[in-house]
Amino acid sequence: MRTLSYMFMALAAMCFAVPAFAQGGATEPTNWVAITSGFAMAIASAVCGLAQAKATAAAAEGLARNPAARPGIQLALILGLALIESLALYTLVIIFAKVK
Amino acid sequence: MPEQLWITRLLNHALAGPVDALLRTFHVSPQHPKAPISNAAAMQLLVFVFLVIVFAIVRSRLSVENPGPLQHIVEGVHGFINSQSEEIIGHHSSEFTPYLAALGYYILVSNLIGLIPGFESPTGASPSVPLGCAILSFFYYHAQGFKHSGVGYMKHFAGPMPVLAPLMVPIEMISHLARVLSLTIRLYANMFAGDMVTLVFFSLVPLGIPILFLTLHIGVSFLQTYIFVLLVTVYLQGAVATEH
Repeated sequence: MRTLSYMFMALAAMCFAVPAFAQGGATEPTNWVAITSGFAMAIASAVCGLAQAKATAAAAEGLARNPAARPGIQLALILGLALIESLALYTLVIIFAKVK
Repeated sequence: MPEQLWITRLLNHALAGPVDALLRTFHVSPQHPKAPISNAAAMQLLVFVFLVIVFAIVRSRLSVENPGPLQHIVEGVHGFINSQSEEIIGHHSSEFTPYLAALGYYILVSNLIGLIPGFESPTGASPSVPLGCAILSFFYYHAQGFKHSGVGYMKHFAGPMPVLAPLMVPIEMISHLARVLSLTIRLYANMFAGDMVTLVFFSLVPLGIPILFLTLHIGVSFLQTYIFVLLVTVYLQGAVATEH
């Protein structure tokens, strides 16, 4: 609960930076697409990493409990990892399609 | 004029006229009339010729008592695909092995040929190459479904209960089309990202580090081939397997 209140305090403090929008307009508009795509790719890779960690952990534990089931566990692990990886790659493809 | 590899330049120099004429009969006007064959198309032709030569060599040297190393490799691949489709599809799975093996060889050699300097991986050069493989596999597994179940194959799209059919049919159609999209994007993005990441690290540290990424690219090539063939096997199982 304390961490949550600290986090909200920090976010409120960051709102003090709003006057930065009032400075004289830049000669060229900021490329928001490039900035957003950086954040999007970072979020996609982070969540993909978490999901693959869960899958690998489950596979390793299943293999430890039952080494005889190795072919099935290996198949499920490789298939799962590739499918999760492809979700992060969809984000990368959008970046290459949209960012000039 | 687009940037051409030496193979593309050779093919365009020799065949630009006939290829232009062929394209014109289909009412397609090429963007660069002097270079109608793109890099990806020229590399695909090279992969095709290479595979045909390898298969011809293996066929001519087949022997039961004294198999050479190439025969061992090809038999290993054949056995692997056979056993995997047996495990996933069940009975009568060996009739799908020729298509799956050909797909696997083609995608593997296409992926790996990008590592040789002077060549470019067709699966990473343009999204149309993986799209071609995905569309072909789409038509293949639907054709196999129709062949095995006749017109009753359409019942697969209706879902578990006939009263749900008006809801399930559009959802199933969209999910089948999404399979084509996901197969394409997965293969293309993996190969393209491998090239990009190698180039980025090459621009940072020109000596030594990019080799690690090329090694990773080799592993990813094998893995993505295996995943493509595995997913086509799973889709075949959805289309063909019936409870006996």
